[in-house]
This record gives sequence, structure tokens and C-alpha cells, in this order.
Amino acid sequence: MSNKLLAGLAGAVGVLVIGIIVLAVAIVASSGGSSSSAKSASKQNTSSGTPSAASSSSANSAKAPSSNVKGGELRVPGDDPLTLDPALAFDTTSAEYIVEIFGGLVQLDKSLKVIPDIAKDLPTISADGKAYTFKLRDDVVFQNSNRRVTAQDFKYSMERAASPDTGSSTADQYLGDIVGAKDMIRGKATSISGIKVIDDQTLEIDIDQPKPYFLSKLTFPTAYVVDKSQIDADKRNWTRHPNGTGPFKLKEWKIGESVTLTANDRYHLGVPQIGQITYDLAGGSSLTQYENGEIDISGVGINDIERIRDKNEPLNKEYVSKPSLTTFYIGFNTKQAPFDDPKVRRAFAEAIDKQQLVDVILKDVVPAANGILPPGMPGFNKDVKGIPFDANDAKQLLQQSKYQGKLPAITFTTSGQGANVGPVDEAILQMWKDNLGVTVEVQQVETATFFSDVKKGAYMMWDAGWAADYPDPENFLDLNFYSQSNGNDVKYSNPQVDNLLVQARTEQDQTKRYQEYQQAEQMILDDAAWAPLFYEQDNLLVKPYVKGYDVPGMIIPIYRYVSIQK
Amino acid sequence: MTGVFPFIVRRLLAAIPVVLLVTIATFWLGRCAPGDPITARTGGKASPETVARLKHQLHLDDNVAVQYVRYMSEVVHGDFGTSQRHVNQSVSSIIFPKMWISLQENIYPFILTFTIGMPIGIYLAMRRGHWQDPSVTALLLILSAIPVVILIPTLQVLFAAKWKLLPVAGWHGIFSRYIILPTAVLTVPGLAGVARLMRISMIQVMDDDFVRTARAKGLQERIVVLRHMVRNAMLPMATAIVSSLFFLFIGSFFVESLFGIPGIGAESIATINGRDYDEIMAITIISTVAFIVANMAVDIAYTFIDPRIRLDAG
Repeated sequence: MSNKLLAGLAGAVGVLVIGIIVLAVAIVASSGGSSSSAKSASKQNTSSGTPSAASSSSANSAKAPSSNVKGGELRVPGDDPLTLDPALAFDTTSAEYIVEIFGGLVQLDKSLKVIPDIAKDLPTISADGKAYTFKLRDDVVFQNSNRRVTAQDFKYSMERAASPDTGSSTADQYLGDIVGAKDMIRGKATSISGIKVIDDQTLEIDIDQPKPYFLSKLTFPTAYVVDKSQIDADKRNWTRHPNGTGPFKLKEWKIGESVTLTANDRYHLGVPQIGQITYDLAGGSSLTQYENGEIDISGVGINDIERIRDKNEPLNKEYVSKPSLTTFYIGFNTKQAPFDDPKVRRAFAEAIDKQQLVDVILKDVVPAANGILPPGMPGFNKDVKGIPFDANDAKQLLQQSKYQGKLPAITFTTSGQGANVGPVDEAILQMWKDNLGVTVEVQQVETATFFSDVKKGAYMMWDAGWAADYPDPENFLDLNFYSQSNGNDVKYSNPQVDNLLVQARTEQDQTKRYQEYQQAEQMILDDAAWAPLFYEQDNLLVKPYVKGYDVPGMIIPIYRYVSIQK
Repeated sequence: MTGVFPFIVRRLLAAIPVVLLVTIATFWLGRCAPGDPITARTGGKASPETVARLKHQLHLDDNVAVQYVRYMSEVVHGDFGTSQRHVNQSVSSIIFPKMWISLQENIYPFILTFTIGMPIGIYLAMRRGHWQDPSVTALLLILSAIPVVILIPTLQVLFAAKWKLLPVAGWHGIFSRYIILPTAVLTVPGLAGVARLMRISMIQVMDDDFVRTARAKGLQERIVVLRHMVRNAMLPMATAIVSSLFFLFIGSFFVESLFGIPGIGAESIATINGRDYDEIMAITIISTVAFIVANMAVDIAYTFIDPRIRLDAG
């Protein structure tokens, strides 16, 4: 074997390796520092095929957002929206973009109050509470086409959402109260009789019963206005360049990379102060990106929360924590043994030490839940008598129940993938074992199956979360606990609670209405149809130069309030 | 070159039953799995009545055989159907951009695996019996034996979090530093395979008569190795190269998930969990066809490298 050959081979490998290193260095150099300006510069250059042109951008700019956009650029983490069609969106990820790009008659403000959007004022409501008359603003135009929004556009948009051809899964819930909407959704009518165009600027919406919460349903994307001419021209792909009326316009959406919104400089409620929002869809650790100065807002996960909460940690000053309107709970199938006995349900609920769960397992990223309605929800009752942790009483209740402590085998169902049950569920199972002496079987079911089985009443007990769709207690209590409700997964039925819920539906006196909901909530808790565990909480880091970003707790068009000040 | 064209035709005809079998099995198994795309996409929020109505509108309550025939006839007409997870967007508009991303993600690893792996293999063969052979082989095997789920977080912690040399995750095309770590992760495991394949192929021809003859003719050792040994050892390597060509656009689930690359690998898993029937079918059909074409291409490539092999022989 000649040494020459070996030398030749080694040389070839060496040249290759050096070539790769040179290439890598060229790549590194061409994208400059990790700043977003460098990133976007390299992106633009990539498409134009001259990756080296950006090498001048300095690494120092990593600490600050690019200032070449008027009003500045806000950089936030995000996910790919599943759809940008307001009629089809059902998930929070899609809604987050849609509320910025589109608009409706009304919207939610930062305190979750319903305020006018394209409507001039809040509607006038007829004496019987069933006819809503909206006067529209005359200065609202579609972003890209200069066309003024009229009452006809709203009628078209809502009928499109209700049309079976559109295939919306949300139309029933959000528009179903409108007279004739259900007929159209079910294909029995070709228009919604309850939506009447009085003139260009006046729209009347008739609903089936005087429901004060109806207005808040119109803040959800299903009722937003879309541009008919755009949809007619490109039925399948119009959402790739949507023509909305919201505070921001979609500038660019690179799947998996970024979504870029720019300010709508004709926005009727005041032009946004920031010029551009860039959602970084890359995934990975947003906290690392935040610390590197690549993004301006980041969530804080359970693994980092202790560090961020430490007063000596510099990031602590940028930490914001606010409730978001979601309650996590254990649901009991109240029609199936042994949870058909309220005493057994209560025993299982009382055997859970929620505070310990929250303190130890969840490191206080969320607060323990006392009631069903989460804090921040209108009608939230901080004095509600929740189910306390009481191991002794729990044991006694089990003895007093009709099963007298002799329970059938109990299975707890949780949704998710992977072989491991989450630490929260594990802790709860252990508490039942320790405090009640009951060993509960666990089964884990894929999400796709889980929800349909819950609806069928296939599980004895399970854990889930309920997030508010709109800020009204009806969305929590009526939907989940009214005996005839589709969403009553626990099959709970209490005539007194039903009465209160029906009354509250049409109660016109707001204070009285919330009182009725609070009474109902108390009775449901006393019956232990749910064992509330904890409320969701948004834990965020916000750069000090980002002003006006008050964590709203729900999806609202938030960025029109935000400015960058340095 | 007799018979390349008839060969292709014959192989394609033989492929039809395979494609049918795979698609029928996938379609039927998909419908057997509990859950459905509408429930999956709406979570617990839509009423059972709404779910049933939407399923009816999408003809998901028809007979499975009817649904299969309807879907396949759409595919024959070039339409891969409608995604439910990506609410009513066409499957093609979702998967082709994602396959393009996976292709880009795989292109450096593809090039690097062979350009680095083959010289290493040749080197190892030349050093057979010396200490370099077992030690380099062992090192490569150890590297390729590290599961990606461990390798990736380790690299992320070291290169991104600790040394702050490279970004943690993200996708910004192949001309950015974001591609470096995924490239490393995708290259390393293949390296051992290519090097070992090259090594063993070299060793097999090393003692052959023609090599001895070449040496006896007094040819330079370099010529003997490159022209006589490597060329003959290339046959199995060509198989590997050509067949991997067709899988370039199939993404790796772990690499894409952990590096936040929006490719088809991560999408495939999400689409199965979302019971997105049409998209599952589209990905299955495309992968199956790619597999068949890859095998066919390998057979054709043989004839170019080794004239002794005839397509019609067997």
C-alpha cells in the first residue's frame, strides 16, 4: 500500500473538510448577528440569490429591533395559523392573526368590554331585547381595495359563514341565536331571515330570545366582515392575501418561518403606533430568543419560572403574569356509577390538595381554582365557596355514599400521546390513593378520540380545560351544565340550576344576571359536577420598551394599543 | 441498451397492484382508527350535531369503498383532496411547499454523507488490518448509534445555549446559519453506513484477479485504486445514492420537530394525529410511488455502471 495514495486521499478529505468549513463560515458571516434585521436581510438576499450582501449588518443590532420601519417593528413568537378565514377559524392560533387583520361590528377592548368596531356605537336594542340595530361608520374601507364597508357586506359575510358550502364549525355557536341562522346552517334556507339590511349604513339583527350575551358573540371571528369580490375571484386561496378591515394587513406569510403584518394606515379606530409585527414561527425556545434579543415578548415555561421570579434576576423586571380565562378541572360522569352519587364526587374532589398540586408540581405558574368561572371573567365571584381539601371528610363522604365505601373499579381518562401520564395527573392519582385508599386506573386516549368519547359519555372521569370563547358566564355555566346543553359532558342535571340558567339567559339587569350565575355556580360546585383544579395564567416577559401590551387574557386585537418607545 | 423503455413500462405496470394495495390498506386503516378529522380539528368545542352535519357535508359518512373510489379518482385527476386540519385548504397547497422545505433540509446531508463517507470508506479499506480501521469504524458507529432525540438537544445545549455559536432552532432557508445543526445531525448517522458500505465493497474487489493484473501491469497504485477498485466497488454505492435521491423530500420527524423545521416529516405525524384522511393518503401515495421509482432507477443505474447486468435478465 503506497503512502502516496494515502496522502492523496487524506489530501482530498482535507480539501473537502476545509471547503465545508469555508462554506459554513461564509453562511455564518452572510447572516451577520442573530438580530432580526440581519435575519430578514439574509432572507431577502436569499431570495435574490446574493447571500453575501448582508455581511455588513453588525452583531450589535441584535439588542434592538430594526428601526427602519416607521413606528418600529415588534417581534413576537407565533405558530402557523391553520386558516385565515374568519368563518372557519376555531382555534386560538388562527384567531390571534384574524383579529388583527379583520374586524366586525364590535370588538373586545383590553378590559374585555364589548366596544364598537365598524359599528358607530353599540347597537340600539328593541324593548323586547330581540332586535339589534347597528349604525355603521362611513369611513371604514377594505384594506387593499378602497371599497367602503356597508351593511350588505355584513349580511353577506354572516350568511357565508352559515352556508353549508363554507363548512364552518363555529357558525352554529356564534350565529345560531340569529333568527333563521340555524335553518341556513342546516341547508333549509339560502339566507338568514334575521339579518336585515335597512340601508347602506344600517343593519338589523333579530335574535330568537332576548340574550344579553349575544353581542359578545359577535366579537368572535365568525361574525367578521370579509370582502365578497375577493372571495368570488379566488375562492380557494383568497386567505393567502386577505382583504380585511383590521388594524394590520398581512404583508407576508412564509409557512413555518414568519408572518409579517404591517399597520393599516387607514384604520378607523386610530392608526396603530407600531409599523410592523413579525411573528417568528420557528419554534424552539422562545425564552432563549428573548434573552438573545431576537424577540420582544416571550412566554415563560414551568422550567424557567423560578429563575424569572427571583427578584435578583434582571429579567424579573420584565415579567408579567395575568390570568387567562381558562379553568382546568376533573369532570365526573354524573350518570354513571359511582359518580352518580354527589357524595362520591365530592369525596374525590375533597381528596385533592389543589394548593399542593399548584405549589409543588406546577411551581405556582397557575393559581389553584376555587370556582368554575375564572378570574377576569365578568361575574367572577371571589367569594365562591369552593371544594376544600379535606381528607377526613372525603373518607367519611365515601362511607356515607350509597356505595358505602365499596366502589366499583374506577378509570380516569386523560388525553394525549406518549406512554407517560403527566405529573399533575400522577399527583392526583396518588392523592386519591393516600387520602381515600382508592386505586384508580388511568387510560390515555388520543385527542382525536378523547373529545368524541367524552361527548358520548364513554368515560367515568377525565381531566380537561375550558377556555372562554367570549367573556360571559353563559359560555361557562350554561354551555357546560344546562341539562339540555350539547356541551354538558358531565350529564349534569339539576332543575334548580336549569331554572337559574334559563332566567339568567334573558335577564336584562346585568347585576342581577351575574348574581343568578353565581348562585348557579355555587350549586354546581356543591354538587361537585366538576372538581376545579386550577386556572390558566399567562406568564410572559415583555421588553421594557414595549408599551401598552397588557396581557388581555383572551384573544383581542391587542397590538393596536402597543407602541415601541426607547 | 436494449429494453430500458419496455423495462420501465413493465415495472410500472407491476407497480399498480402495489400502489392499490398500499392505498387500500392505508385508507381502510385510517377509517378504522377511532376519531375523525372534524372532531380532531374542533376539539371539544363543536356540538355532536355540528360534527355530524360537517361529516355529512364532506361525505365522510358514506361507505368506505365509495369514499376510496371517489378519492382515488380525484388523485388520478391530479387533485390530492382537501385538508381538514388546515381547514379546507387543498392538500397540494400544504404538502408540496413542505416537501420542498424537507428537500432543502436534506440536500446538504445528502451531499456531505457521500462525499465524506466514501473517502473514509476507501481509506478504511486501505488500512485494513491496521489500527485505524477498527478505531475509525468504531467511532463512526458510536456516532451513528446516538439517538437523534439525544443528539439534537445535546447539540442545542452546547452550540446554542452554552457557546452561543449557532441558533437553537428555526427555519430560514439553506443559506442561513440555522441549517448548520440540522445538517450535522442528518449527516452523522449516514456517514457510518456509507463508509462501511464503501469499505466492504472495496475489500471485496481488493483481492480480485483484475486488481492483481492491474498491479502486475505496473500501474500506479493510485490508478489501480481509483480506476479499477473504486469503479468496481461503486455498484452497491450507486444503489445507495440513487435510492436516497428519491427520499430527499421525505423529512425526518425528530429533526424537524426539534429544530422547528416546517417540513413534511413533522407534518406527517401531525396529520395522522389530526386524522386528516386526504392528507394522510396523499403522503402515503407519494412515498409509495417514490419508493417504486427509486427501486426502478437503481436497476437502471446498474446497467450503466456494470455493462454485464442486463435489464431483461430476471
